Formats: sequence, structure tokens, C-alpha cells
Amino acid sequence: MLFIPSLKHKTKREPIQKLPDPKDFHLSLKAYRGTMQPLVHVGEKVLQYQTIAMNTGFAASQLHAPVSGIIKAIITEGNHSSIHLENDFEYQQIPLKSIQPNNLSLADFTDLLQEYGIEGAGGSRFPTQLKYKIQGSSIETLIFNGVECEPYLSADAILMKEQSAALLKTAKLIQDLTKAKQIVFVLEKQNKDVAQWLKTLSAKLHISIEIKLVADKYPQGGELQVIKAVTGLALKKGTIPAKHGILVNNVGTLWAIYKAVFDGIPYTERIVTVSGNKTMTQGNYLVKIGTPVSHILHETQNQFEPQKQSVILGGAMMGKLVSSPQEAVHKGSGGLLLLKKQNSKTFNCIKCGDCASVCPQHLMPLEFVRHQQSKAELTHFHLQDCIACGACAYVCPSEVPLMESIFNGLKSLSP
Amino acid sequence: MSLHPHIKPRFNGTQCVMLDVIIALVPVLFVACLAYGWLLLLQVGIALLSAVFTEWIFGRLLLRNWKSIFDGSAVVTALLLVCTLAPLTPWYVVAFGSFSAILFGKIIWGGLGKNRFNPALLGREFMSVFFASAMTSPDIWKANEWIVFKSSSFFSELVTDYGNNYLSGLLYKTSGAMGECSIAAILLGGLYLLFRNRISWHVPFALLTIFTVLLWVNGSDNLPFSIAGVLFGTLFMATDMPSSPTTAYGKYYYGTMIGVCVFLFIKGGVRFEYMSYAILLLNGFSENISQVFTPTVWGETLDWKKKTEAVLLLTLKILTVAAAVFSLHWHELTAYVVYIYIVYITLKFSFSFSKSLDNYV
Repeated sequence: MLFIPSLKHKTKREPIQKLPDPKDFHLSLKAYRGTMQPLVHVGEKVLQYQTIAMNTGFAASQLHAPVSGIIKAIITEGNHSSIHLENDFEYQQIPLKSIQPNNLSLADFTDLLQEYGIEGAGGSRFPTQLKYKIQGSSIETLIFNGVECEPYLSADAILMKEQSAALLKTAKLIQDLTKAKQIVFVLEKQNKDVAQWLKTLSAKLHISIEIKLVADKYPQGGELQVIKAVTGLALKKGTIPAKHGILVNNVGTLWAIYKAVFDGIPYTERIVTVSGNKTMTQGNYLVKIGTPVSHILHETQNQFEPQKQSVILGGAMMGKLVSSPQEAVHKGSGGLLLLKKQNSKTFNCIKCGDCASVCPQHLMPLEFVRHQQSKAELTHFHLQDCIACGACAYVCPSEVPLMESIFNGLKSLSP
Repeated sequence: MSLHPHIKPRFNGTQCVMLDVIIALVPVLFVACLAYGWLLLLQVGIALLSAVFTEWIFGRLLLRNWKSIFDGSAVVTALLLVCTLAPLTPWYVVAFGSFSAILFGKIIWGGLGKNRFNPALLGREFMSVFFASAMTSPDIWKANEWIVFKSSSFFSELVTDYGNNYLSGLLYKTSGAMGECSIAAILLGGLYLLFRNRISWHVPFALLTIFTVLLWVNGSDNLPFSIAGVLFGTLFMATDMPSSPTTAYGKYYYGTMIGVCVFLFIKGGVRFEYMSYAILLLNGFSENISQVFTPTVWGETLDWKKKTEAVLLLTLKILTVAAAVFSLHWHELTAYVVYIYIVYITLKFSFSFSKSLDNYV
């Protein structure tokens, strides 16, 4: 694992500000698996929090209107579709159901998570209800992952600071539902102050929690890495943690659950850190899902200039490069970054072994480049265990196209 | 670049790595320059010219890429080669050494990073084989009249004569190869590389530990070897990235086995080339070592039995080859190894390496 310098300290103490809503929302229909089907048609008037798209099946997900307004278009470009919703700034809501959290059963709770569109806010967008379909496994440890190892991002840190009571209350509810023995909040050492605060508050609220501080390293926040830090178990990629009595949720997800259960509001907004080495101002913002990046940048006195700088949705290590101003915040985006463009020069691999020494999964990434053509060799070198964190590509002095080989390889290995 | 990650550490490119090695060699070369003055500068000049020119011509001819002269690896190879040479090595032999180091040590493998053997050491072996009389002549070491800076007592007022000689010897002496004038300068360069994370500490640590232990076990008889030579080889040659293993445990093992082989060669009476033989020998096994010492994948358990067996077999192989090298040396047949190498690598390039030039590994 590795240490990555960044401007995290700059935004870590910036209070959450509410970003003014845009006129136009672009809601991506991309789901954890496949694409959601729109439930609305062009020209239709929708209310705030109305379900506008969903898909069914194993990894079912739902999408809700973040504001009331008119559906302007359903756009499909290549294999990516989105709904264009025009805000009418009237905020007419659907009647919100009042939920009695104390009367919920675990089955009600999982249904509710699905109905309110809760997904992994840490970036994976894994439908959260699946984690709670534990099928009789007894849960020992509930882990709430506040390890935001992505450089530049501070959305989770500030959330844990400002919404601590909400998070603790929800954690307790989940503990009661799953009958878990203990609640563990995992934070980075650099957020010791937040950890201290959580501890103090939990004592006051009579909620017993454990705090686990971990090193400020990348990718310490990966689910498998967090599980190891808390329980000492190194679970193989693809293992279901619940089978080992462990449940892990990101703190962003926990907050989304809070809003669903206690306020009856579906997952339609999240905290986004705006930062980077090319921004004029940085900060943490409460942003509605579907807000276009150009709007966020405009509202924060930054410019959308993809030809001059890299615009990244997500983190600097695992985020996605944005090219269109309409591309919008989704449920997994914790950051919007403006970064200096990299003009890298590729050389041959010099076998320094740095990629292998930083790999959190203990793989040998250079072998994925060497054997890109051979499925058997890729399997032999455990490409299937790669979590695509990008640590190897970060340290590589020769700029060997590691990620390209990894993605191509993973694609060729997937059935 | 459209794929993640979108940031990179500063000063981390391959050129930076090469620049760091050059910086680390500065103290060594500076002391050598104090000692041999123009002799050193001349050799450095010739080696550099020959290396860069070879890289340019053959990079263009064989790799369709002459820009590799800018990656800095040719400079590093030339400087390392000069450090292993005697002060009065004839200029054409130096030029030839530098040429073969680049062509047969690197380019013919497919260019930077693809070579299995340390190019500088390989260049040195080529010199010994093709210019045997010049390289074994005692005259190339007789540089006394050329030495610029003769003083070697720096601590005369401080300690006893023995202490003075000993400490001064660490700082400066004018025997041995040109890169071996000062143990202090070598250590300084090595520490710089360690500090900059350009070499991993595993190899030097394992090598020096096992070597010291073996010397200690061996007892009192004075084995003929140069501490500076062993240190230079350890810090600058054995740690060469392309020719050493890629995994942490592999690096430990590699360092350990070099230490063992160096000791065996010295003990067996190999007078000068114990370090190059040991490193080149283990270079040949690097890839094999990386494959045996793969890290245990997250969530898997290590099969100790299988691993131990693989390590034992590998060790047996290495020791067998060491014995073979030793007997070839004894019977003065090492030249044939170099001939066979040339034929093999030329064929290998024509039929295999030249077809995978586009692959980065």
C-alpha cells in the first residue's frame, strides 16, 4: 500500500454547504448491473422523490427524481442512457411514507433499502439490500467504513463530523435489526479528531461502538482491506462477508439509509468534495444526484475546461475522466476533481517490482501486461483477485499501461 | 490517459530513476577522479560515447527506436562499467566493453528493462574474453605515476597508525578498480539510492548479512577479496532492477544466494571475478526466483510444503550452476560460455524477441 500526498487537509474542515440546484438534471440509467428502465415518458411531469426508473432481478436498483419538474428527454448515447429532467423549482413532493423504524423487521428493511434506491456510496454502487439478505448467517461485526483513502476526498470525513448523531442512530438501528454483537467505525489516523468526536457522542447517546483507526494509506478503504484491519481476516475477493459474520457499509451509504428510514427520503443527494490541484476553490457540498459537473464547477467558481485539465468524477485514483459537461453526479461519486493533465511517457517495464510491492491484493501486476494474451497465465497470476485500485499504475515509473491490461484481462476472463 | 489513476507521484519516471543512479555514482566518480584524474575522465568519455553511439545505431536498426538514448540507461551502464575497470585499460577495450554491454547486454534482449543480465558486468566479461591478454596484464593496474592525489592519511593526529591506516582506507585508497577507491563514497551512493527508494534494501541486506556470517563461520584465514568491490557490486550491480527479481521475498533469496556464491567463489580461489560471476549467475535465475517467490495472494493460504520443495530445488539448481561456473573458470573455459551466449541470444532475438518489441514487459 502507498502514501499519496494530496490536498485533503484543505477540504477536511470545510463545512458542508448546500449547492444551489441546477435547472437541468441528467440522471444516468446505469445500474450496478445493466441499465435501468425508465418508468416515465418525455413531457411527463414528475414529483420530487417519485421513482423514475428501475431494474429488477438479482441486483435490483431504483432511481428517484431529485426535484419536481418535466422530463425533457431520454437520451441514449452508445450504451449509456440518461434521463434529462428540467427542474421547475416548485419542489412538489410525492406524499412521503412515515416509517416506524422500531417496528421494522430485517425483511422490511431490505425491501425498504431497495425501494429507496440505496446503493454503495463508496463508489461501487453495489445495491445495499443485497448485503442485508444474510440468509441466516449470524452477524458478529457491523463495520462502518469511514476510510476515505482516495486522495483529495473528504466527503466521508465531514459527513462523520456533521451528521454523527444520524449515523450513530442508524448504526444502532441496524445493529438491532441484524443482532450484531458490535459496531465498529473505521477511520483513518488523519481523522483522529472525528473519531474522538464519534466516541464522545456515542457515549452520550448510550450507543456502544468501537473505533478502529487505520493507516493513511491507499487503498486502505477497500472492503477487504477494512475487514482485515478490523477482524484480522483476509477474505478472498468475491467472498460474501456475511458468511464470516461481517457486514460492511460505507458511512455515505449509512447516511442514505438514515434519510430513507428516518425521513422517508430516497437516495437523491450526497456529499461531494470539490477539490484538486487545479481548482480555484475547494469544499464539501451537498449535491443532488443528477447534478451536471458543469453546474457544480460553475457554482464553485471553477471552470469546466476538459481540454486544459482533467475533470474527474470520483477520486483521483479510481474516478472517471469526464469529457461532457452534462455528465452528472451519481450515487457513488464522492468527489469532483480538477487535476493537472498528465503528460506521461511510456517506457519498457524495468522490473523494479514496485507494482508488486504496493499491490493490496499481493499480486504481480507486471505479469498481467506480460501475459495479456493468455487467459491461462492471467488466471495463474490471479488477475481475478485484482480490485482495480490503480496503486500499481500510480507507482509505475515506466508508465506501463497496467490498467489497460488489467481491464482487458478482466474482460477476457469474465464469462 | 483516460483510465484511472489520474495522478502520479512527482519525480518518478524511468528517466528520474536513471538520473538518481547517476547522482549516486557522483561521489564514487569524484573520488576516482581525485585518484586518477584524466585517466578516469578519458575512460568515462570513451565509455559514454561508445554506449550512446551503440544505443543510437542499434536502437535504430534492431528496435526501430533510437530515442532510447534519452532514457539514460546507456549512461548508467557506461558509468557502471568504468567503475569496474583498471585505470590503464586501453581505450579501445573500454569502447568495446561499452559497445558489447549495450548491444549484447541490452538491445538484443529487446531494449531497456528486458535484459536478464546486468549489461555492465556482461560488457566486462566480453572484454575479458575478447581482449584476454590486455585485461589480464598486470600493467593495466600500474597507475602509480598517474595518481593525482596520493595522500592517504587523514586521521594521523587522531589515532594510532593502525587506526589511521584503517580509517583512511575506508575513505580513500588507490588500489583496485576505479570505482573502488572509497568505501565511504560507495556507501554514500548506496544510501542515496536506498533513501530515494531506487534500490530495495532487501538485496544488500540479505547479501551482506549472509556474506558476513559465512566469513565469520569460515574463521580466521584471510580470504583475498576487496571489501570495496563487494560493496560496489552489492549496492550498484546486484540491485540493478531489470536483472533482479521483482518480489520482496525473491529479492531476499536472490541477495542471499549471491552472498553464498560470492563466498564460495572467493573460497574456491576465483581471484578477481567472484562478484561478477555471482551476480551474473543469479541474474540468470532472477525470473525463476520471481516465479517461485510469488507473494501469497490476499485470502489464500500458503502451501508450505510445495513452496519449500520449490525453493530447495531452485537452490540445488543454482549451486549446480555455480559449481559448473567454478569448474569452467578453473579450466579457463569461460570464454566458451560467452561464445555460446552470443549465438544463443542472436538466434533468440531473430526468432523471438524481435517479434515482441511492442510489448512493454
